[in-house]
Amino acid sequence: MIPEDLKYTAEHEWVATRGGTVRVGITHFAQDALGDIVYVQLPEAGAKVDAGDSFGEVESTKSVSEIYAPIGGTVTARNEALGDSPDLINTDPYGEGWLVEIEATDPAAVDALLDAAAYRELTQS
Amino acid sequence: MTDVGSKDSTALLRSPLHERHAALGAKFAAFGGWDMPLEYAGGGVLKEHAAVREEVGVFDVSHLGKARIAGPGAAEFVNACLTNDLGRIKPGKAQYTLCCDEATGGVVDDIIAYLHGEDHVFLIPNAANTAEVVRRLRAAAPADLDITDEHRDYAVLAVQGPRSAELLGRLGLPTEHEYMSFATAELDGVELTVCRTGYTGEHGYELVAPAADAVRVWDALFGTDLPVRACGLAARDTLRTEMGYPLHGQDLSLEITPVQARSGWAVGWSKPAFWGRSALVAEKAAGPRRTLWGLVATDRGIPRPHMQVLGAADQVVGEITSGTFSPTRKIGIALALLDSGSGLSEGDTVEVDIRGRRSTMTVTKPPFVTPSVR
Repeated sequence: MIPEDLKYTAEHEWVATRGGTVRVGITHFAQDALGDIVYVQLPEAGAKVDAGDSFGEVESTKSVSEIYAPIGGTVTARNEALGDSPDLINTDPYGEGWLVEIEATDPAAVDALLDAAAYRELTQS
Repeated sequence: MTDVGSKDSTALLRSPLHERHAALGAKFAAFGGWDMPLEYAGGGVLKEHAAVREEVGVFDVSHLGKARIAGPGAAEFVNACLTNDLGRIKPGKAQYTLCCDEATGGVVDDIIAYLHGEDHVFLIPNAANTAEVVRRLRAAAPADLDITDEHRDYAVLAVQGPRSAELLGRLGLPTEHEYMSFATAELDGVELTVCRTGYTGEHGYELVAPAADAVRVWDALFGTDLPVRACGLAARDTLRTEMGYPLHGQDLSLEITPVQARSGWAVGWSKPAFWGRSALVAEKAAGPRRTLWGLVATDRGIPRPHMQVLGAADQVVGEITSGTFSPTRKIGIALALLDSGSGLSEGDTVEVDIRGRRSTMTVTKPPFVTPSVR
C-alpha cells in the first residue's frame, strides 16, 4: 500500500510529480489510522503555501488532522469531488482521493522528500 | 497529518473476547483502562453505525463495570445512596440511576441497576468509575451487606438494532420482555442475563455472561445466517450522541450535576435520602447556572468536546461536551452546556469556534434522531 513511484513526508502525505506541478494526498496508512473521513477543508486555487505550513484539515467521525504542505508553491487545483465524497480518501487514497495540486516554487524540493522505502520504514517503526 | 500511529497498550486490561476482535482486524483503543475495539477492518464507524440503525450490530462492552450488593435490605441501601427511585420498579427490571457526590451533587458515575430482589441488586457502572462507586458504597454500607466488585467476572455483549430480537430468537433467547427489564436464560449451556437495554437508541439487548463463556456467546451470535456486524466503541459513541445520551466524563462528571445535564428524570426527588440530595434540591430550586442543550450545525462544521460556544455579541456562552459528525443526519451535532444567563433556548442560533473558524449552529433539544428503543 506504499506505491514505489511516489514521494512521501513524515506527516503521511504523498507527492506525485505531474509535469510542472505536484499532486498531494494522504497515504493509505494515514487514512486507515483516521478512519471514515467525513469532511475535508482545503485551500482554494491561487493560495500560496510554504513547505511545512498547515494548509488544510481532514476530519473523520472521531478526530481531525491537519495537512501540511510537503513543498512550497501555489495551489493550482483542489479535488472538488471530496466536497460530496470525502470517503474517496478512504477508498482510493492515491487516486480519486487526491487533495490538491501545487505548482512548486522549487521543483527540485520534491527530490528531498522520502522515497517509498524510507516511508515504509517510518510506518513500520 | 498528525496524531497517527500506534499507542502503548501494555498496561491495559483485555476483554475475554480480545482474540476474536484481533482476528476481525479490530483497531483497539483505551476505554477506562481497557483495551477495547474501536472499529473493525472492513467496517468503520459509518458502516457499523448504519448496521445498528438498519439491521443488527454486536458490541463487546465487557469493560463496563459489574458490582453486586447482596444481603438483607440491599435494595433499600442502594436506594438511599443512588439517585433514582428503586421503589418505582419491580424485581426483574433495570433502572438508569446516578451515583452523586454527597457534598456537591456532582456525578461520580451513571449506572444501570438491576433489581433482582429486595436483598440483591446488580450494578453496571462505567469501567473507569467502578472502583470508586464500590468504594463509596462499601464505606456507607452496614456490615451485613456484601458489596463485591465483579468487574472481570462477566462479559457484556450489546446486541442492538431492529433485527436484534430476530437474532436472539434464532438462538432461543428470550426477546419479548419489556424495555428495561431482564430475564435469565441459557445458551449452549451458558447461563446469562438478557436485558432490554442499550446505548444506541435502537431496540436492543445487553447480554451479561460469565467471562469464561464469553467466546461461546460471541460465536453463537455470529453463527447464524443473519447479517450481524461486529461494531466498535467508536460507532457506539456516534449512536449515543445522536440520541443525546450523556457520556460520563464528558456530559456528566463530578463538575456537572444531573440538574445541569437534564438528568433530573433519573433522580427520585421525593425520596428522603440519596447522595447529593440537599445540594441537588437547592440547585433545582434556584435554577442551574448552565444547562445541557443540543446543537445542530447549519454548515459543514463538526463540533468537538471543549470547543467554545459563542453568542450573538461574540461572548462565550458555553462549551461543547460531546460533538461528532452524525452518520444518520450527515451533519455536525453536539451536546453543549450553555450558561443560563445567556437566555438561549430552542431554535436560537449560536456560533462554535472550530479551530479559529466559525460554524453556525442551532440550539435544539435532543434526541437528534428519533429513538426506536421499544
